[in-house]
Amino acid sequence: MYFKILMAYFLGYVTIEVEGYSIEKFMNLCNSEKIFLWNLKRLKTTIMKVNVSIKDFKRLKTIAKKTKCRIKICNKKGLPFFFNRYKKRKIFIILFLIVIIGIWALSNFIWNIEIIGTDKIAKEEIQQLLDENNFKPGKCKIGLSTKEIINQIRLQRDDIAWVGIEISGTNAIVKIVEADLKPDIIPEEEYCNIVATKEAMITKVSALNGTPVVKEGDIVKKGSILIGGWLEGKYTGMRYVHANGEVQAKVWYSDKVKIPLKQTKKELTGNEENKYSVKINNFQINLSKKVSKFKNYDTIEETKKLRLFSDFYLPIEIQKTTYKEYENQEVSYSLDEAKQIGINQITQKLDEQIENKDSIKDKKIQENHTDEYVEVEVIYEVLENIATKEKIVF
Amino acid sequence: MSISKKRKNKTMPNKINRILEIPQEVSSNIPKVTVIGFEKMLIENYKAILEYQDFYIRLSTNIGILNINGFELNLEEMTTDDLLVTGKIDSIDFESIEDNH
Repeated sequence: MYFKILMAYFLGYVTIEVEGYSIEKFMNLCNSEKIFLWNLKRLKTTIMKVNVSIKDFKRLKTIAKKTKCRIKICNKKGLPFFFNRYKKRKIFIILFLIVIIGIWALSNFIWNIEIIGTDKIAKEEIQQLLDENNFKPGKCKIGLSTKEIINQIRLQRDDIAWVGIEISGTNAIVKIVEADLKPDIIPEEEYCNIVATKEAMITKVSALNGTPVVKEGDIVKKGSILIGGWLEGKYTGMRYVHANGEVQAKVWYSDKVKIPLKQTKKELTGNEENKYSVKINNFQINLSKKVSKFKNYDTIEETKKLRLFSDFYLPIEIQKTTYKEYENQEVSYSLDEAKQIGINQITQKLDEQIENKDSIKDKKIQENHTDEYVEVEVIYEVLENIATKEKIVF
Repeated sequence: MSISKKRKNKTMPNKINRILEIPQEVSSNIPKVTVIGFEKMLIENYKAILEYQDFYIRLSTNIGILNINGFELNLEEMTTDDLLVTGKIDSIDFESIEDNH
């Protein structure tokens, strides 16, 4: 029964008032004609309020004539009447449809490309690769074959092991797995020399195969042969072998800095100013004046892509520009202070270069100062294995 | 003779229905009256509405007449064989046809 009422709501129904002396007869006739009535209310002895669906209402008229009742429509309800009300507001409906079609059309494009999984390779490089393959924000999703793009990228780059493009909504996620570069392994059968990777002073040569060319205390340049890939026998003459061995050497790492004694230093005052602008592709609309009121300031720009739901990105960006005020402060250091700053700077830099901290043998600091600045040079002496194999090319 | 034959004809389907456990209101035209609380009443298998007023409903059924007294009586739903009455029901009484005859 509830289903019938629900259907009546979708198809439309009317609330009518039936006025007459033989309302019972009217009701019985409706029953025999199989007209569904609901919510019958007797208002007065001669008036009754009834709900009837639109379809049945037309048939009611003949019954009403037979029973000499008068029918008056009180209320129209249901979806057909609801839509009918909006028939006059054509522009409203047209705009509504345009908005829906617009959203649907926009959702067929890719508006955001996210690159995941890069570590060594710069994201910009991948972006450029994608651009070259015509895969950039604003690309239509229909007829897009990600397989082709993936193949193109894999052909162009050796250091990418796997590429996956996942499209969810208007957001494309490019997943990249980097390949480890294979070290050049020279097979045992081939002849090779052992050469230096860095400029260094030899401390120990232990050749397992081949003829050592350098002695302890020799200073070698990068690329010069340490252990030759040949053996000389009394009777056999010279023959080539696959050289093997380890060469330890002292390597120097050094760096120089100039630290002026008088410096101007930036000191943030804590005053900030936020300005917003809307960016559509390359077209920018500033919501406020772009120029800051501060005299000295840093600008920090942040862009945020607008999105409707979790992954429906719109081609609109909101750019937030933050101005941070700072003051220039004159700072003068003493000699020792300046020296310490310089040493700290260099050691930090050198520590990044040296992989094995235990192999550092010696640290040397040289300084050179004038009235205006201090020049500091720090030299690290590190013991390292500098041997690598290099194929002999005849 | 004729009376006994008629009785036999009447009783035969009744026996089958009893064996098959078919509800009585389905097999015959006897009305089924369900009263839910004091304010709701469902009448199935009724024949026609004889009178409908705010305080009084009179229905005819196959075995007699059903009277409902109360206040603000509404017919929520009305189909060919179902009738749902809501409102404050005071009393229900029946008038058997056989009594009149």
